[in-house]
Amino acid sequence: MEKAFEILKWFVLNAVFILTALIFTAYLVLTIFSAISLRKYLRKNSYVDYNSIVSSPLAPSLSVIAPAFNESETIIDNIRTLLSLYYNNYEVVVVNDGSKDDSLEKIIKAYELEKVNYYFDYRLPCKRIRGVYKSQNRSFKKLTVIDKSNGGKADSLNAGLNVCRNDLVVSIDADSIMEPDALLKMVKPFMEAKERKVIGAGGVIRIANSCEIKGGHIQKINLPKKFLPRAQVMEYTRAFLMGRMAWSELDGLLLISGALGMFDREIVIKAGGYHTNTVGEDMELVVRIRMYMVDNNLDYDVVYIPDPLCWTVVPSTLKVLARQRSRWTRGTLETLITHRKLFFNRKYKKLGMLGYPYWLIFEYLAPIIEFLGILWFIFLVITNSLNWPFFLLLFGFVYFFAVSLSIWAVLFEEITFHKYEKRRDVLRLMGTAFLEPIFYHPLVMLMSIKGNIDKLFNRNSWGKMERKGFGKN
Amino acid sequence: MRQQITYLIVSLLVFFCSAGDILAQEKLSPDTLSQDSIMVKDDNVAKVMTTSVISYAQRLQNRFTKSPLLITILYIVILYSIVTLITLLIIILLNRGKMQREDKQKEYLLEKYQLLLMEYLFDEEKQDKAFRAIERIANNRMNRQVLIDQMIDLSVNLQGEIKERIQELYLRLGLKTDSLEKAYSRKWHNNVKGFRELAFMNVRDANDKIIESLNSNNEILRMEAQIAMVRLSEDNPYSFLDLLEKPLSLWEQVTLHELLIQHKLKVPAFKQWFHSENLSVLIYALEMVSWFKQRGVGKEIIALFDHENEKVRNSAYKVCGEIELKTSLPAMIKKYPLESDSNKLEILLAFAKVPNARYLHFLKSVLDTEDDVQLQIQATKAMENTDEPGISMLIKLMKSKSEYKNYQIIIRHVLDGRIY
Repeated sequence: MEKAFEILKWFVLNAVFILTALIFTAYLVLTIFSAISLRKYLRKNSYVDYNSIVSSPLAPSLSVIAPAFNESETIIDNIRTLLSLYYNNYEVVVVNDGSKDDSLEKIIKAYELEKVNYYFDYRLPCKRIRGVYKSQNRSFKKLTVIDKSNGGKADSLNAGLNVCRNDLVVSIDADSIMEPDALLKMVKPFMEAKERKVIGAGGVIRIANSCEIKGGHIQKINLPKKFLPRAQVMEYTRAFLMGRMAWSELDGLLLISGALGMFDREIVIKAGGYHTNTVGEDMELVVRIRMYMVDNNLDYDVVYIPDPLCWTVVPSTLKVLARQRSRWTRGTLETLITHRKLFFNRKYKKLGMLGYPYWLIFEYLAPIIEFLGILWFIFLVITNSLNWPFFLLLFGFVYFFAVSLSIWAVLFEEITFHKYEKRRDVLRLMGTAFLEPIFYHPLVMLMSIKGNIDKLFNRNSWGKMERKGFGKN
Repeated sequence: MRQQITYLIVSLLVFFCSAGDILAQEKLSPDTLSQDSIMVKDDNVAKVMTTSVISYAQRLQNRFTKSPLLITILYIVILYSIVTLITLLIIILLNRGKMQREDKQKEYLLEKYQLLLMEYLFDEEKQDKAFRAIERIANNRMNRQVLIDQMIDLSVNLQGEIKERIQELYLRLGLKTDSLEKAYSRKWHNNVKGFRELAFMNVRDANDKIIESLNSNNEILRMEAQIAMVRLSEDNPYSFLDLLEKPLSLWEQVTLHELLIQHKLKVPAFKQWFHSENLSVLIYALEMVSWFKQRGVGKEIIALFDHENEKVRNSAYKVCGEIELKTSLPAMIKKYPLESDSNKLEILLAFAKVPNARYLHFLKSVLDTEDDVQLQIQATKAMENTDEPGISMLIKLMKSKSEYKNYQIIIRHVLDGRIY
């Protein structure tokens, strides 16, 4: 028995050591690729004049689809922001997903809407559309509002896709604030495409907590005052500027955030639209449209733009954060299960050989392994078989490596977009990098475990996000 | 890479902890991990405290050489991480300071240049004095670059004599040398800058390099070369299209189009590229014919209905609508059943722009046979646009109780003036 226990420990040590080496190597490689990609992007775009397409009649037509559920407090301002984006050829389609509050009434009143005889078909499955509204005021001619029975975010996006007519669609959370030039930056890769069709583009989502917001526009950028949102700033900076940038360079991007993404409408419809049976509809769609292109032997690209394009309020309480992270975990798991045939499937090239295995091992399984590790650690402490000096050495090893990665991300932010102008904000962000692995990360790991348990017991709700409105941050 | 940056790392940490005791029992020598504790326990603490730097270095070296591989790796990673951390922190802080200094310097220069340029351009008496002052300030690369950028910004909004004066000042100050250096640099991003500057200042000395870059694999450089060619060519700004081998992206097309409009350049007869082997050039030519409503190209466009490329045919149908080419309608009816949905839509849009009651039967048959919403709506719109005959036909259809098609919904949509 004792020998078996020793063998188990030996196995764990070696297996885990190899895995650690792999992970650290992966992160270093991703950091290098993101640096290359960022440099390339910045060089390339420093010469771009976006003004030429602002009013060009040759620019492609866009439909911005914003699903809204009980967003009464913010919806009027958010629609105003969407209507004032720098682009000429676009429409805004707001989908009221059976809100129980007075969202629809407020929109109708504020934008002088009337129900119209709109003809559409249900090319994509969605709950019953009760009506389509247009404004009688020419100033709001870009606005279309769909009122439908409640069916969730994916269902609302499908409804929007059924109603809109333009070549490209932008999916956005109604509670997000888009940068005025976001459409220009996102449409560019689609316009630059030649032999390879661009089917999707995503951009950086920034955190608006503690920022000064007026009339639906960011007036002053501040680092969140509370620790929880600030730790998420660190997390987002790392994820967007390092992770996704690198995956874009490696052509293995599997996720375009649901908060903001631009897609080729026809491809999305042909691939079957958004899946309504998952809470991770954003990732699921990207995987499916990529698979659709491969299955039909079509050359394609999914592009990622490192520019900050959209601002969103992140959870500032543990309760709401737990709901969000549980949903993310369930969404990832659902997508991985649905598309399990991708796993090391050569047919899908980088998607199957690189992207999928990475997400499975390093994204989905990571918190589970970590949790098991903690249980193992507790067991060793109880049985008094833990070597404390070695523990401290390992702690230093893991901790400093993690912090150095975060500081790399801060550097990338500093030399690229430099959004935090105050020196104090940058110092605080760096301070957060030191605190985050100890005070924030374990919580997020536990929330992810909760997501797995929720999935196991079929608790599949979206989770209430408790909107306070931007002005009340 | 969501929050997992440290997920596994911490998990591995605790696994390693468990493994640590194996190492401790089997591999670690007393002079490795436990060395510190031994030393702390040593009675002669003062002696330890006064250990020289050399002996400390020796101990450190011993630790590395005598430790098991795993421990050595851990030490190296920790050391690497700490060094990286400190270096990055210093870089971030220094970079911030440097950026702030540069911004201040640029702000100062811009203010100064603006004033002096105004004096040079608009005040004859102060011209020489302003010139000398500018020359004195623009004494290093950075200051000269700020000056060139400022002159370009100014010349964008100016025309005629004043613009020529700026160009003359640019030459007098010898800034051409800087731009040429950039244009012939090995680095593409310098080339781009150089091409741009030369094009704005109407200097043709690097045209050979610009022409060479028209077919560069680097799309930014290629596009900048195209823009420079358009700016630098007075008679036929689009002559470079004949030399273009690479596809012209929609982005490039839009940029060139805007250039043509903003700078009021001479618009060429775009039909000369209808036979271009570069399909993107052909499509662009069709778009431009449509935009500038260039007429007298009917036969050539109708001939393109038989082009093997779907996008070319799509553009050809579009042009027919835009330039209201009535003679193209019968040919489009013939092509309609053979086309893809997107091309069918373009044909119907053309019919809506060139309304003709003679083809109502065709549009009605489209409405009857097509299932696609957009095709049905466009066919109905084309019918509506023929005025009286079309509208009365639609009203009749609305009243009819056809079981196989719900005309009412489609026609109501089209006739609803609130839907733009």
